[in-house]
Amino acid sequence: MSQVFHDIEKKIIASLKDNPKQTPENLEESTKLSPDQIRRGIEWLKLKELANVDESQTSLVSLGKNGKESLEKGLPERRLLELLKTKSKLSDLQKELGPVFGPAMGLARKNNWVEASADQITLKNPPDVLPGEKSLKQIGEQKLSADKLDSDDLSGLLRRPDFVVEEIVKTKQISLTDSAKSINLDASSGGIDVEAKVPEVFVARTHPLKDTIDEIREIFVTLGFSEIYGNMTQSSFWNFDALFTPQDHPARELQDTFYLDGISAKKIATPEQIKKVSESHKKNWRYQWDINEARKMVLRTHTTCVTIKHLAETKPDEARVFSLGRVFRNEKVSYKHLVEFNQIEGVVVGKDANLRNLMGIQREFYKRIGITKIKFWPTFFPYTEPSLQTMVYNERLGKWVELFGMGIFRPEVTKPLGITKPVLAWGGGIERIAMLKYGLDDVREFYNNNLNWLRSATKCQ
Amino acid sequence: MPVVELSYSSLQKLIGKASKKQIADSLPFLGLDIESEDKDLVRIEYSPNRPDYSTDFGIALGMQGLLGLKTGAIKLKIKKSKQYSITVKPDVSKVRPFVTGIVAKNGKIDDKTIKQLMAMQEDLHFGIGRKRKKSSIGIHDLDKIQFPLVYTTSDRKHKFTPLNSEKELSVDEILKTTEVGKDYGDLLANFSKVPLILDTNNKTVSFPPIINAAVTTVTTKTKNLFVEVTGINKADAEDMLSVVATILQSAGFSLESVQISGAKNTSPKLAERKMTVSPLLINQTLGLDLNTSKIVSSLKKSRLDATVKGKNIVCVIPAYRFDIFGPMDLVEEVALGYGIQNLEPTITPSQTLGQTNPISLELKSLSQTMIGLGYLEALNSSLTSKRVLYEMANREPKTIISVRDSKSQEHTILRDSILPGLLENLSKNIHESYPQKLFETGTVFSSENPISETINLSVVSAHQDANFTEIKSVLQSMLKTGFGLEITTKTTEHPTFEKGHCASVIIDNKTVGVIGEINSKIIENYKIRVPVVGFEISLSKSILKSL
Repeated sequence: MSQVFHDIEKKIIASLKDNPKQTPENLEESTKLSPDQIRRGIEWLKLKELANVDESQTSLVSLGKNGKESLEKGLPERRLLELLKTKSKLSDLQKELGPVFGPAMGLARKNNWVEASADQITLKNPPDVLPGEKSLKQIGEQKLSADKLDSDDLSGLLRRPDFVVEEIVKTKQISLTDSAKSINLDASSGGIDVEAKVPEVFVARTHPLKDTIDEIREIFVTLGFSEIYGNMTQSSFWNFDALFTPQDHPARELQDTFYLDGISAKKIATPEQIKKVSESHKKNWRYQWDINEARKMVLRTHTTCVTIKHLAETKPDEARVFSLGRVFRNEKVSYKHLVEFNQIEGVVVGKDANLRNLMGIQREFYKRIGITKIKFWPTFFPYTEPSLQTMVYNERLGKWVELFGMGIFRPEVTKPLGITKPVLAWGGGIERIAMLKYGLDDVREFYNNNLNWLRSATKCQ
Repeated sequence: MPVVELSYSSLQKLIGKASKKQIADSLPFLGLDIESEDKDLVRIEYSPNRPDYSTDFGIALGMQGLLGLKTGAIKLKIKKSKQYSITVKPDVSKVRPFVTGIVAKNGKIDDKTIKQLMAMQEDLHFGIGRKRKKSSIGIHDLDKIQFPLVYTTSDRKHKFTPLNSEKELSVDEILKTTEVGKDYGDLLANFSKVPLILDTNNKTVSFPPIINAAVTTVTTKTKNLFVEVTGINKADAEDMLSVVATILQSAGFSLESVQISGAKNTSPKLAERKMTVSPLLINQTLGLDLNTSKIVSSLKKSRLDATVKGKNIVCVIPAYRFDIFGPMDLVEEVALGYGIQNLEPTITPSQTLGQTNPISLELKSLSQTMIGLGYLEALNSSLTSKRVLYEMANREPKTIISVRDSKSQEHTILRDSILPGLLENLSKNIHESYPQKLFETGTVFSSENPISETINLSVVSAHQDANFTEIKSVLQSMLKTGFGLEITTKTTEHPTFEKGHCASVIIDNKTVGVIGEINSKIIENYKIRVPVVGFEISLSKSILKSL
């Protein structure tokens, strides 16, 4: 234990050595320190486990209106007994004492100090000191701790109206702990205890997942991509049909996709777009395409719907755009599945855009978020051909995990929408990257808003 | 994506001359993900567009190509036979018009093969069959059936003993009492008569698309198979049949044709297709410079046939590869045959200048302002529940936007307000130290045309001395520092806030939100033990300039 004490601490320890239990007020008096210095000193000693603080309640008493009057003139029953030494007629006594006669007389008779017959009252044998007189004198003009008084004597006064005013105050008793008692103050230096524990304060901060989102957005921008925005609620047309997902495809069903109950869009696309897209479906998938199915509103299952809509509107010869935002899947929530999560999705449009470029951009992106061990595997997506997925090596888990999917938009997707140049596209879940970054095994943690985690998650990793 | 369990030893036997390690290393380059391994067993995830990969026979064919052991297209050898025929009656036209089939003879079939065939059948039913709606398969013991067959309809009182049953049941009973009957009965709901395949003695062979008859059950003693596919589209039915035929042939069966005649139907062709692709498209798309012979050999490794014709490559595509729609699909086949691992990633300099969306920038600066004021950012789902959004917060719903059939009770409706979620967050953190100060920006939804999405900001502060003045100061400073805006507040009533301690927030004579002390009843609802103050405002164009 460090033996470095602040002057304030030294004064408090010294005073407590002389007088082992003191209130902060007592300490103020004995050390001549200010209330604020005492408060800080006690806090420091408490953190170092050198001081005990016992909180207790005490009752402070002072005289009320009737009490003060009694202090001056005597208690009503005292005044009655005094009068009886010279007078005995009921009406005289009543006249002399006024309103206090009743209570005084009641008390005197109850205690058998007087005897009454007809309108004559005679003194019997009262004690020298009446109950309450002792406390009355002790309290006098001051505010006094009730435990300094004879509680029997005081309790009678407390029951009477406005004789004694009672005030409950919380008091702290400061004492030294056993280890503090052996402190040799002369041996300690005059510095402060720089090794002592201090209270924790919490930094206000962005959500850790937002930090990852912002980092990814920044990387895309520096790679020459512009951000586009789109709605989370989309018509099935843009979420599925425009992306060559047939209307009877199992992925469209309720168990995978959130359909908005009873809501369908009136205007979904231009008549030309609707005609061309439906033709592509009929020709390639061989089924009756239904516009009402395309009108059904869904919570977007990917951000690709935002991108394809943008490309269909702008038909660029050259472009790099990305969209980033929440997507939805109707799955059971588990440690690895959320119904709502964030996705990043980017495209490159250009006449020379090719698969090796797409792989190159991926490699660069991963390098910038600190992932260098990657490989590409073939995979399948309904709207890209060829299609690949990235596998990245996770050191902590000791295995390869799937990250982004990518590919080149199929002509069946681009042609009907008038997009003539090759479109490289890729995307994936951001939570997956954030989980690797924050070392989480349960994706739900991001949306639990557990303050303990939010306050403690390290900002830079 | 579907998952199937295979064994390395049987794959090795089928592929020939490949080590277990070689097989394991190459699986991903066929597009197959290894889910898990346990000694000889390996669980593989395959793409729904390649149902042939649901069996080790199909994977072996692909792997032989990739490893260069056997390349080129797999040809179906079908012996023409007059012995087997199906006549189609006109009455099925309305219900399930098409039937097609094939006979597979002299094969060996063990428990494992039966299991794999059944798994393949289920995957075909789910994928191409669209849950048996478009097409469905029945596989039977050929020797239990007397040809010729007839494909016809019958009323729902028709009786036979279905697969996995001991006694005769009527069609109605099958639909009502069996698992498959309940699962797929809807497909026949609109028809009083149901499709049936009957043999020459009028014995039931199959009740498509629901169930086979028990009598034709395939066992380990079965040597010869009869496969029938029925459906609502001829091409889909033949696609499905081509997969089963290809797999049975590679499993060692010899195929014989089945004559189909009658209403709209003809015998299946299962013919190869030809498709032309230009080397230019291949090289441009892949970023390579392959000569034609390398392209041809790559296609052959993907088990297609290819020849150079003038400047183009002509490809021969077996019937079971109906996942190939056009030239771009052939480009992918070249990439797979060439080997994805042999494609070196390249980076070309960007031709464009990147830009963050202005809304993102404004929201980011808003976050920074809130953090400067000492507030921690929270994130909640936009899909939430009535309990959180309305009941706990004492709010009356206007129009609720709900999703259909959510698997999670906590995620059933779209939020129209952020504040209730933040109160829920406070409620879950009552054991953490105070003050607790949270903010969230996010999308809220309202039903308009058909749905409008706006961005809201909500803020809460919870601690022993929280009061109206404090939270109004925060709102005022945030808008002043962040956006140079002045606000006014005007007394209002809101069910979430304490009466007399609640105001509407006004910018430029327009109400943008509400601020105040949270109603003590609601604080009790959330079991919070300290006062809470907060506000929620809509970030309209008067606040975010770029909206």
